[in-house]
Parts: sequence; C-alpha cells; structure tokens
Amino acid sequence: QAATQVVLNVPETRVTCLESGLRVASEDSGLSTCTVGLWIDAGSRYENEKNNGTAHFLEHMAFKGTKKRSQLDLELEIENMGAHLNAYTSREQTVYYAKAFSKDLPRAVEILADIIQNSTLGEAEIERERGVILREMQEVETNLQEVVFDYLHATAYQNTALGRTILGPTENIKSISRKDLVDYITTHYKGPRIVLAAAGGVSHDELLDLAKFHFGDSLCTHKGEIPALPPCKFTGSEIRVRDDKMPLAHLAIAVEAVGWAHPDTICLMVANTLIGNWDRSFGGGMNLSSKLAQLTCHGNLCHSFQSFNTSYTDTGLWGLYMVCEPSTVADMLHVVQKEWMRLCTSVTESEVARARNLLKTNMLLQLDGSTPICEDIGRQMLCYNRRIPIPELEARIDAVNAETIREVCTKYIYNRSPAIAAVGPIEQLPDFKQICSNMCWLRD
Amino acid sequence: SSGGAYPNIPLSSPLPGVPKPVFATVDGQEKFETKVTTLDNGLRVASQNKFGQFCTVGILINSGSRYEAKYLSGIAHFLEKLAFSSTARFDSKDEILLTLEKHGGICDCQTSRDTTMYAVSADSKGLDTVVGLLADVVLQPRLTDEEVEMTRMTVQFELEDLNLRPDPEPLLTEMIHEAAYRENTVGLHRFCPTENIAKINREVLHSYLRNYYTPDRMVLAGVGVEHEHLVDCARKYLLGIQPAWGSAEAVDIDRSVAQYTGGIAKRERDMSNVSLGPTPIPELTHIMVGLESCSFLEEDFIPFAVLNMMMGGGGSFSAGGPGKGMFSRLYLNVLNRHHWMYNATSYHHSYEDTGLLCIHASADPRQVREMVEIITKEFILMSGTVDAVELERAKTQLTSMLMMNLESRPVIFEDVGRQVLATRSRKLPHELCTLIRNVKPEDVKRVASKMLRGKPAVAALGDLTDLPTYEHIQTALSSKDGRLPRTYRLFR
Repeated sequence: QAATQVVLNVPETRVTCLESGLRVASEDSGLSTCTVGLWIDAGSRYENEKNNGTAHFLEHMAFKGTKKRSQLDLELEIENMGAHLNAYTSREQTVYYAKAFSKDLPRAVEILADIIQNSTLGEAEIERERGVILREMQEVETNLQEVVFDYLHATAYQNTALGRTILGPTENIKSISRKDLVDYITTHYKGPRIVLAAAGGVSHDELLDLAKFHFGDSLCTHKGEIPALPPCKFTGSEIRVRDDKMPLAHLAIAVEAVGWAHPDTICLMVANTLIGNWDRSFGGGMNLSSKLAQLTCHGNLCHSFQSFNTSYTDTGLWGLYMVCEPSTVADMLHVVQKEWMRLCTSVTESEVARARNLLKTNMLLQLDGSTPICEDIGRQMLCYNRRIPIPELEARIDAVNAETIREVCTKYIYNRSPAIAAVGPIEQLPDFKQICSNMCWLRD
Repeated sequence: SSGGAYPNIPLSSPLPGVPKPVFATVDGQEKFETKVTTLDNGLRVASQNKFGQFCTVGILINSGSRYEAKYLSGIAHFLEKLAFSSTARFDSKDEILLTLEKHGGICDCQTSRDTTMYAVSADSKGLDTVVGLLADVVLQPRLTDEEVEMTRMTVQFELEDLNLRPDPEPLLTEMIHEAAYRENTVGLHRFCPTENIAKINREVLHSYLRNYYTPDRMVLAGVGVEHEHLVDCARKYLLGIQPAWGSAEAVDIDRSVAQYTGGIAKRERDMSNVSLGPTPIPELTHIMVGLESCSFLEEDFIPFAVLNMMMGGGGSFSAGGPGKGMFSRLYLNVLNRHHWMYNATSYHHSYEDTGLLCIHASADPRQVREMVEIITKEFILMSGTVDAVELERAKTQLTSMLMMNLESRPVIFEDVGRQVLATRSRKLPHELCTLIRNVKPEDVKRVASKMLRGKPAVAALGDLTDLPTYEHIQTALSSKDGRLPRTYRLFR
C-alpha cells in the first residue's frame, strides 16, 4: 500500500445538503472576486416534440425581471456592481451564474435566488424574446461545427429527446407559452436537482446561511415526483447535406460511448486524447503526440480535426469532427477509421502513457480562475454527486494502460455501426455500408 | 477480463485505496507581493506567489514588429511560430513536448508589437527543468532549414485565415496602427507580408536575434514559485551563456520613439459572401476611427482606461446577460438608437511611448457615411459632461475586470512580466485599484480634450463607396458637434 495521505496545495471542496435537497458546494481560495451559480439537472432532454426549446426559452426569460425587480433594475444593479450574470442550457443541464466581487456574494446569491424563483415571465417580454431567440438561431446556423453536431445528435438519437436541438424548431419558438415555461419550472426546478456552487473568495458557512435564507423551502413546495430520465436509444445512421457551393466539407463521425459516471469513461477520455486534435495553423510539428495529426498533416488531408467524447447521463458520443477540402474527404475518413482500428488492436504503451499525461495536464490546467473551478464543482456535483479529489482522478487515469485501451475501444468502436453527419461538398464521402465495413480491421 | 487491473467502479463512488488528500486552507486574502532581482548580466527575475500545484514561468523580451524597421518585416512573426522547435539540447519539438508532459506542462509563445513571450505552465516541482528548457529555447534554437521551411507554410496559412475570418478585428487593428504610425515603430506590420515569407532565413533571424535577444532586454517571470528558487535557476541557466548566434555585441538597436502621424488605411474588399456555409452573413463595411491617447507609463493612462470602459460597446447581438457594459455609451447612444448598426466597440491600445484609443463600427455599406458621423459625434461628446453615475460604473467595471482577469495564473504572469520589462517594478493590483478609484470627471474631460486636438487615424474595410474623405473626418473631429461637412452632389 502506498502513502495513506497526500498533501495538496489546493483548498477543499465543501459540500452540504439542505433539507430541501438543495446541495451547496464551494471552494474558498481567498480571492477578492468570486463565481457563484445554480447548476440544475434539467435541459432539453426533458422536453417532448411539442415543447422542445422550453428549457432554453426559460434561460432567456431569467434576466427579464422578477416580482421584485424590473428588467432595467436588474441590469442596472448588476452593471453598477461590476458583476456579470450569465446562463446557458445544454441537453441535460441548465446553469445560471454570477461573477462578482467577493464582498458582493450575498447580493449575488439573492439575485440568483430571485431570478429562478420569482421571474415574472411577462407576456410582452415572452413575445419580444421570440425574436431574439430566432436571431440566435441564425447565429448558430452560421457556425458549421454547431450545425454538424446538431445533425449528429439528430441522426444518432433519432426519435428521442437527445436527438432534438436545444433551441427547438422555429414553430416551437414561435408558440411556446407562459404556461409551458411555468410547467417546466414546477416540474424540474426542485431542490434535489439543484446545486448551488461557488469558488474564489467564498466562505462555505456564509454561503450556507445565504442558501438557507434565500431558498428556504420554496424549492420543495413544488409537488409531484421527479420525472424519470427519458430513454434515448443510439442508432447507427447518417445525415448528408450536400452543398457543392461551400468551400469545405464539415463532417462528424461517432460511435455510442458511455454515460458520465460509467467506469469506462476515463478510458475513453484517454483514447480521445490519444487521437487528439489538430489545426493547420499549428504547423507541421505541433501536437506530435497525435499520430493522426502527423498523418493528416503529411498527407495534407484536412484543415482541422478534433476528437470528442460527449457524455450524457446514460449514453455518450465518442468520435471525430473534421473540416476537409472536397477532394480529401474519402482519404481523410479512411485514415481516421484505420487509426481507430489501430486503437482497438495495436496501440502501444508509450502512446497511452503520453495520452494519460496530456489528459491529466488538460484537466488540471483548466482549473484556473474562479469560473472554471465553479463550473467544475457544479458539473461534478450533478454528474457524480461529489467532487472527485485530484489524487483519485489521477489514480483513475494512471490505471489505464494499452491493454485497457484496446479492450475498451474494441467494446465501443470495433465493428460498431457509427452515426455520421456531413455538410458541404461531400460527393466523395463513401456510402454508409462502406464506412461501416471499415469499422473492422482490414489489411491493405 | 485480462485488463482486470482497471477499476470497475463508477465515478460516483470513491475509489478505494487512494491516499487521503490533505487540503490547503486560506488564511484571509491572498497576499500579493512581486519580488524582482537583477542578475549581473542585466537580466531581471520577477516572481509572484500563488495558490495551486502549478506554476507559469516564462521569458519576456523587448522584441516584436516595432523593432523591424531595419530588417525584413515579419521576423518576429517567424520567431513566434518557430518557438519551442529543436535546440542545442533537444533534438526536436517533440522531445521538448515530451519533457514538459512529464511535468504536466504545456508551452506557448506569443508576440505582440513590442513584446515576445515564451511561457510554460507546469507542475511547480518541475521548475528547474522548465527554466533550463526555456533558456535553451530562447538562446539556443537550431533554426534548421526544415523548421524554417515548415514555418513558412504555417505563416502562409495564418495569413490566409486572417483574410478568411468573418471577424475583421485583427485586420482592422493592423490597419489602424499602419495609419496612425506611418512606417514607424508600432505602425510596422505585425504579420509577415506575403512577399517576405520566402526571404526570411536563419541568417536574417540570427542578425536580428544578436541585437534584440540580449539579457538586458529580458525578464524571467514566474507565478506560483519561490523567488529564491527562481533566481537560482536563472543563475544556473541564463547567466554566462553563449547564445547560438555568438556573443558579439549588439550593434544596431532601434531606439526610435513612436511617431504618431495619423492618416487613413483603406482596403476595398467584397464582403458580400464571407459566410463559409449556406447561411449568409450580411454584407458589412467596417471602420475604425482612433486618436492618440498616451503611454501606459503616463499618469493619464488610468483616466484613458476609464474612458475606454465608459465608451464600452460591443456587438448589436451578443450573447450573455447583464455585465457586458449594457449602459456604456456605445450601447446607450449608438447601438440602442441605431438598430441598423451591427457593432460599435471601443478599444485602447497602449505602449511604452504612445497609445491609441479607437472605436470599431460596422454597418451596411450604404450607411457608411451616417455611421462615421455617429462615431465622430461620440468622440466629440467624450470631452463633454461626464455623469457621476456613469463614471462610477465605469470605474467599478474597470476594477472588476482587472481583478477577474487576475484570477488566472497566466494573466498574472503576463502582468508581472510586462510591467517589470517596462518599468523594472510592478504596480500591484490594489495600487491600480486605488488609482482607478481616484479618477475624477475632470480627469476624463481633460484627457479627452487633449486627445481631440490630435489628428485622427482611420481604417476602413469592405465596400468603401460611401466612405467620407479623411479630410472630412478630420474636420468633423475638430468641430464642436462632430458633424461631417455637408457635401452637395448634383447627380445622386
């Protein structure tokens, strides 16, 4: 047995659960500024075809005034404090957070409590916000990476909640009503599904008192059971949107991976780091730890690629996003699939060691500043119901070796039918059967 | 299974057998103290303590495009891309990366008009290795033909991307510097011109490095390290070292002070199809109008920074909630009133001998004239009445922006390094906060009036058919109300 204790130069994450089920988690690093926010276990996954877009619409309404504050009052108050208020919605989570001077922590918590418990959801504001969301939708559509990932979800999780977009279709954005918003809140914004997280200059005891005072018991007064997680089945399939007028092809290919907390998730993260990412502005050398980067760079096969591992509660997408010239689409995909097969059959110990180091570095260096740390706390509390101590995370990563990579990758990648989304000049993209058959080892 | 050593335990449950962590605790607010030591060869070592298991360490050099007047333009750009390639001790970039990865480290080189920065973030335990590696990277690069050739390609790609990008801000910033400091210092091109890509080679680079990569022009800065330890490492690796380009004396150092000239830089470009996908981005013309402010060494720097915050602005459609400067003048007076404008943002660039306060605006090409006039009017209003509430807000927001940025270790590193490079000491965050707190309405009025007495610098990009002439913009900026002179055209 190794040492039983390890000294860390980072503060502890303290966690307390209140009677309402609300969890309070914080890390105090004594800064003069802080981040505090609400992480809620609710996103577009809990919507149906009719109300898809509600979670996101609600996020937009959060800053539009409460019973206590008009929209203008709220904006002036935040701006005059030198604070920031932000929110985002993903498929499984909704987040509201504030950045402020540490001395203003009480006010920041009070404002967050106010906007999620007492939003007016005025009819006039709802009408106005429809236009804003439709314009946001146009913005999203100019970002081809987002477009491709939405298509990827649409095909991979077809006919399920994860296949729908976060913003929802135009007709829903035009029709979502005040009742839809209120129903969503009363069904989902409940104590046990909410985490109040904070980092920077924050005292846990003070935060706890603030939480008790401002959230009281209103979060457990909403009646009804917590809805079950809607099942989302993965289907190997494809979406092609051919447009030869576009200069570059944008593609994503993915297999079904695992949920957040699954024991294999760390191994798939190492595999994902090993495949890596590359951009032609890196130059030939950069990211030499990725064999795929070397191959694509030497063969001039793409402008950029990015390996991803997107996790949800009980499923996930492990794959690669790439941007290519029309004439290199087929060669690029061939090289990618060959590299994946190599992961399953003959990846070496030294590559895996390097990927382990890189993954640890990426995860740890990212925890810099109160906002990334607060995000990490909030997300981990929702996903794992605890914050994994750094030594444990390192131990889990260190336990991955070439054999585990081969075994786990074989389980999830080898001979599995992938989901593919491709946009642009994609004439060269092989047919789906051909791509599927390359998910097995072929000698050439 | 045979891979059986791998724990089959979900992440929601603690892994048994892992050592129990003993956490650190904060006693009160973190203490800020920057220590500086100068070595015998003139190199300065600066450090700052910080919580956490990682450190950021790097070498900052007074080097960049502003020193390229007597050289081929683009050398600093090349050196940035060549950074962390093979050195005397490391056979390849890959070896450097591998060495860093063992200490959980990453590296990065960034060059601006006046400073080049080589930085590493890594586990603090690897400090000795990191400083040794940095010294080798800065003083002993091999600059092989193959590496230079690779860099030519990278620079070429970067130039292509710069022109393809829908966001015109980097290009406009380059253009307004070109207009404001015609053919001198910070007005020289930051990006390598295409025609120089083939000409820059090892010999050219060496002759530049000999003059500018000297110890008296360098600072070794570290955040999250013990000062004495950093100084020891500096003595070991950066004192009495013969660089790859020989130890001949620097002979030809450009000590020119920036000469603000004002002027206009125009680039006619078809922006009707900048979208990379099927969803069109509306065609826009972009303008940037600027005036000379002051250097960051002068006292007026702080009132200018407050003024810049007070102008604020941003995109007419930008994500995020309150806190992005919604009550700044460019939102209240410009974007909220003129819904046809796509952007109005204030920027403040400052250097050791000059500064530039500018506003970027964009709109449909047919409304360029109207847009320019809205901006010139805002410039004139800067020297008018400053409302007490708006000034307080701007000061609070500047302070919070400063302190929030300084949460991050690489930002502290850059702040320590740049300040010590320019002034041999560092103004601490709380001292800056006091200076900001002391800014009065008359300070803002005074610096704005002084600024308005200078000539404007203008950059314009896109369809420029309706762009007013430089003379008219100048007239507007020296008028009482900022209006453009009226033009009478018979045939319109």
